[in-house]
Amino acid sequence: MADNQKRILEMLAEKRITVEEAEKLLSLIGSKEETGDELPETPVHEKKSHKYLRVVVQPGDGGDPGQQADKVNIRVPMNLIRAGMKLTALIPSHATDKVNEALKEKGIDFDLRNLKADDIEELVTALSDLEVDVQSGKETVHIYVE
Amino acid sequence: MNRPPLLMRVHIKNSNKKFCLWLPLFLIFPIIAVLVLIMAPVILLAGGVLWYTGWGRPLLLIIPLVLSCLCAMRGLEVDINDNREKVLISIK
Repeated sequence: MADNQKRILEMLAEKRITVEEAEKLLSLIGSKEETGDELPETPVHEKKSHKYLRVVVQPGDGGDPGQQADKVNIRVPMNLIRAGMKLTALIPSHATDKVNEALKEKGIDFDLRNLKADDIEELVTALSDLEVDVQSGKETVHIYVE
Repeated sequence: MNRPPLLMRVHIKNSNKKFCLWLPLFLIFPIIAVLVLIMAPVILLAGGVLWYTGWGRPLLLIIPLVLSCLCAMRGLEVDINDNREKVLISIK
Protein backbone atom coordinates (compact mmCIF):
# COMPACT_ATOMS: atom_id res chain seq x y z
CA MET A 1 0.00 0.00 0.00
CA ALA A 2 2.81 2.40 0.84
CA ASP A 3 4.33 1.82 -2.61
CA ASN A 4 1.06 2.62 -4.35
CA GLN A 5 0.63 5.78 -2.32
CA LYS A 6 4.19 6.79 -3.13
CA ARG A 7 3.60 6.23 -6.85
CA ILE A 8 0.49 8.38 -6.74
CA LEU A 9 2.31 11.17 -4.93
CA GLU A 10 5.18 10.97 -7.44
CA MET A 11 2.75 11.26 -10.34
CA LEU A 12 1.14 14.25 -8.66
CA ALA A 13 4.54 15.89 -8.12
CA GLU A 14 5.38 15.36 -11.79
CA LYS A 15 2.01 16.88 -12.70
CA ARG A 16 0.97 13.81 -14.62
CA ILE A 17 -2.28 13.74 -12.68
CA THR A 18 -4.30 16.47 -11.03
CA VAL A 19 -5.02 16.82 -7.30
CA GLU A 20 -8.57 15.52 -7.77
CA GLU A 21 -7.35 12.45 -9.61
CA ALA A 22 -4.73 11.78 -6.92
CA GLU A 23 -7.42 12.04 -4.28
CA LYS A 24 -9.60 9.61 -6.20
CA LEU A 25 -6.77 7.12 -6.54
CA LEU A 26 -5.86 7.35 -2.88
CA SER A 27 -9.46 6.73 -1.93
CA LEU A 28 -9.47 3.75 -4.32
CA ILE A 29 -6.46 2.35 -2.50
CA GLY A 30 -8.33 2.65 0.72
CA SER A 31 -11.39 0.88 -0.65
CA LYS A 32 -9.33 -1.76 -2.50
CA GLU A 33 -7.47 -2.49 0.72
CA GLU A 34 -10.70 -3.52 2.30
CA THR A 35 -11.53 -5.86 -0.58
CA GLY A 36 -7.90 -6.97 -1.09
CA ASP A 37 -7.73 -5.98 -4.79
CA GLU A 38 -4.76 -4.39 -6.56
CA LEU A 39 -4.43 -0.79 -7.61
CA PRO A 40 -5.25 -0.24 -11.28
CA GLU A 41 -2.17 0.44 -13.36
CA THR A 42 -3.40 3.60 -15.08
CA PRO A 43 -5.14 6.63 -13.57
CA VAL A 44 -8.92 6.78 -13.93
CA HIS A 45 -8.99 9.89 -16.10
CA GLU A 46 -9.04 9.75 -19.89
CA LYS A 47 -5.72 10.11 -21.66
CA LYS A 48 -4.90 13.76 -22.24
CA SER A 49 -3.48 14.97 -25.51
CA HIS A 50 0.23 15.31 -24.87
CA LYS A 51 1.84 18.52 -25.99
CA TYR A 52 5.52 18.33 -25.17
CA LEU A 53 8.35 15.84 -25.06
CA ARG A 54 10.53 16.63 -22.06
CA VAL A 55 14.12 15.65 -21.46
CA VAL A 56 15.37 16.52 -18.02
CA VAL A 57 18.88 15.76 -16.79
CA GLN A 58 19.66 16.69 -13.22
CA PRO A 59 22.66 16.03 -11.04
CA GLY A 60 22.49 12.94 -8.92
CA ASP A 61 23.66 12.39 -5.40
CA GLY A 62 26.95 10.77 -6.39
CA GLY A 63 28.45 13.67 -8.27
CA ASP A 64 31.46 15.75 -7.29
CA PRO A 65 30.20 18.29 -4.74
CA GLY A 66 32.84 20.85 -5.73
CA GLN A 67 31.86 20.80 -9.36
CA GLN A 68 28.64 22.14 -10.79
CA ALA A 69 26.88 19.28 -12.50
CA ASP A 70 25.27 19.50 -15.91
CA LYS A 71 21.63 20.43 -15.98
CA VAL A 72 19.58 19.97 -19.09
CA ASN A 73 15.96 20.87 -19.53
CA ILE A 74 14.55 20.45 -23.01
CA ARG A 75 10.94 20.81 -24.03
CA VAL A 76 10.01 19.87 -27.60
CA PRO A 77 6.46 20.43 -28.84
CA MET A 78 4.91 17.24 -30.22
CA ASN A 79 3.64 19.23 -33.19
CA LEU A 80 7.25 19.93 -34.10
CA ILE A 81 7.95 16.20 -34.15
CA ARG A 82 4.93 15.70 -36.44
CA ALA A 83 5.98 18.55 -38.72
CA GLY A 84 9.57 17.31 -38.81
CA MET A 85 8.50 13.84 -39.88
CA LYS A 86 6.42 15.34 -42.67
CA LEU A 87 9.62 16.86 -44.04
CA THR A 88 10.36 13.44 -45.53
CA ALA A 89 7.95 14.53 -48.27
CA LEU A 90 10.68 16.90 -49.43
CA ILE A 91 13.01 14.05 -50.28
CA PRO A 92 12.92 13.42 -54.07
CA SER A 93 12.21 9.88 -55.25
CA HIS A 94 15.75 9.15 -56.45
CA ALA A 95 17.16 10.32 -53.12
CA THR A 96 14.57 8.18 -51.30
CA ASP A 97 15.93 5.11 -53.11
CA LYS A 98 19.43 5.89 -51.90
CA VAL A 99 18.21 6.43 -48.36
CA ASN A 100 16.32 3.13 -48.46
CA GLU A 101 19.44 1.35 -49.72
CA ALA A 102 21.53 2.84 -46.95
CA LEU A 103 18.95 1.77 -44.36
CA LYS A 104 18.91 -1.74 -45.81
CA GLU A 105 22.68 -1.98 -45.54
CA LYS A 106 22.34 -1.23 -41.84
CA GLY A 107 19.76 -3.95 -41.50
CA ILE A 108 16.69 -1.69 -41.44
CA ASP A 109 14.21 -2.94 -44.01
CA PHE A 110 12.02 0.11 -44.21
CA ASP A 111 10.72 2.10 -47.18
CA LEU A 112 10.42 5.83 -46.56
CA ARG A 113 7.72 6.07 -49.23
CA ASN A 114 5.45 3.94 -47.06
CA LEU A 115 5.50 6.50 -44.29
CA LYS A 116 2.03 8.05 -44.28
CA ALA A 117 0.35 10.72 -42.18
CA ASP A 118 -1.63 8.08 -40.23
CA ASP A 119 1.58 6.23 -39.41
CA ILE A 120 3.18 9.43 -38.17
CA GLU A 121 0.21 10.13 -35.97
CA GLU A 122 0.26 6.58 -34.64
CA LEU A 123 3.97 6.87 -33.93
CA VAL A 124 3.53 10.15 -32.08
CA THR A 125 0.59 8.73 -30.13
CA ALA A 126 2.71 5.74 -29.15
CA LEU A 127 5.45 8.15 -28.13
CA SER A 128 2.99 9.59 -25.66
CA ASP A 129 3.42 6.48 -23.52
CA LEU A 130 7.18 6.79 -23.51
CA GLU A 131 8.87 7.28 -20.20
CA VAL A 132 12.56 6.80 -19.55
CA ASP A 133 13.96 7.16 -16.09
CA VAL A 134 17.69 6.54 -15.65
CA GLN A 135 19.41 7.11 -12.36
CA SER A 136 23.14 6.80 -12.07
CA GLY A 137 25.48 8.12 -9.43
CA LYS A 138 26.28 11.33 -11.25
CA GLU A 139 22.98 12.27 -12.77
CA THR A 140 19.38 11.36 -13.31
CA VAL A 141 17.84 11.37 -16.76
CA HIS A 142 14.11 11.62 -17.14
CA ILE A 143 12.41 11.54 -20.53
CA TYR A 144 8.66 11.81 -20.58
CA VAL A 145 5.72 13.37 -22.34
CA GLU A 146 3.45 16.00 -20.81
CA MET B 1 -1.66 24.24 -37.19
CA ASN B 2 -0.45 26.35 -34.27
CA ARG B 3 -0.15 30.09 -34.39
CA PRO B 4 3.34 31.21 -35.39
CA PRO B 5 5.69 32.03 -32.52
CA LEU B 6 5.94 35.64 -31.49
CA LEU B 7 9.20 35.86 -29.63
CA MET B 8 12.54 34.09 -29.73
CA ARG B 9 15.04 34.35 -26.95
CA VAL B 10 18.62 33.16 -27.15
CA HIS B 11 20.91 33.50 -24.18
CA ILE B 12 24.45 32.15 -24.21
CA LYS B 13 26.83 32.79 -21.36
CA ASN B 14 30.28 31.45 -20.63
CA SER B 15 33.30 32.66 -18.69
CA ASN B 16 34.51 34.86 -21.55
CA LYS B 17 31.42 36.27 -23.11
CA LYS B 18 27.73 36.75 -22.82
CA PHE B 19 25.27 36.85 -25.70
CA CYS B 20 21.64 37.72 -25.25
CA LEU B 21 19.14 38.06 -28.06
CA TRP B 22 15.46 38.89 -27.89
CA LEU B 23 14.00 38.55 -31.37
CA PRO B 24 10.46 39.81 -31.95
CA LEU B 25 9.38 37.31 -34.59
CA PHE B 26 6.02 39.03 -35.00
CA LEU B 27 7.88 41.93 -36.64
CA ILE B 28 9.88 39.72 -38.96
CA PHE B 29 7.00 37.57 -40.22
CA PRO B 30 5.32 40.32 -42.29
CA ILE B 31 8.63 40.93 -44.06
CA ILE B 32 9.04 37.23 -44.76
CA ALA B 33 5.43 37.03 -45.95
CA VAL B 34 6.02 39.81 -48.45
CA LEU B 35 9.19 38.13 -49.70
CA VAL B 36 7.35 34.82 -50.12
CA LEU B 37 4.56 36.54 -52.05
CA ILE B 38 7.10 38.13 -54.35
CA MET B 39 8.96 34.84 -54.87
CA ALA B 40 5.79 32.72 -55.25
CA PRO B 41 5.45 33.04 -59.04
CA VAL B 42 9.13 32.18 -59.48
CA ILE B 43 8.80 29.15 -57.22
CA LEU B 44 5.68 27.97 -59.03
CA LEU B 45 7.39 28.35 -62.39
CA ALA B 46 10.51 26.55 -61.17
CA GLY B 47 8.35 23.78 -59.70
CA GLY B 48 6.62 23.27 -63.02
CA VAL B 49 9.89 23.22 -64.94
CA LEU B 50 11.58 20.81 -62.50
CA TRP B 51 8.54 18.58 -62.01
CA TYR B 52 9.70 15.71 -64.19
CA THR B 53 13.19 15.76 -62.69
CA GLY B 54 11.73 14.87 -59.31
CA TRP B 55 12.62 18.19 -57.68
CA GLY B 56 9.39 19.96 -58.55
CA ARG B 57 7.26 18.48 -55.78
CA PRO B 58 9.81 19.19 -53.00
CA LEU B 59 10.18 22.73 -54.29
CA LEU B 60 6.44 23.36 -54.16
CA LEU B 61 6.06 21.73 -50.75
CA ILE B 62 8.98 23.46 -49.09
CA ILE B 63 7.20 26.67 -48.14
CA PRO B 64 4.12 25.12 -46.49
CA LEU B 65 6.24 22.50 -44.72
CA VAL B 66 8.75 25.03 -43.42
CA LEU B 67 5.87 27.23 -42.31
CA SER B 68 4.26 24.34 -40.43
CA CYS B 69 7.62 23.56 -38.78
CA LEU B 70 8.00 27.18 -37.78
CA CYS B 71 4.51 27.30 -36.27
CA ALA B 72 5.15 24.02 -34.48
CA MET B 73 8.24 25.49 -32.81
CA ARG B 74 6.07 27.54 -30.52
CA GLY B 75 6.83 26.30 -27.03
CA LEU B 76 10.29 24.94 -27.78
CA GLU B 77 12.69 25.40 -24.91
CA VAL B 78 16.28 24.29 -24.57
CA ASP B 79 18.01 25.08 -21.29
CA ILE B 80 21.49 23.64 -20.81
CA ASN B 81 23.79 24.48 -17.91
CA ASP B 82 27.20 22.98 -17.45
CA ASN B 83 30.43 24.09 -15.82
CA ARG B 84 31.58 26.17 -18.74
CA GLU B 85 28.49 27.48 -20.43
CA LYS B 86 24.83 28.26 -20.09
CA VAL B 87 22.60 28.11 -23.13
CA LEU B 88 18.95 29.07 -23.22
CA ILE B 89 16.83 29.00 -26.36
CA SER B 90 13.17 29.76 -25.95
CA ILE B 91 10.57 30.24 -28.65
CA LYS B 92 7.17 31.49 -27.50
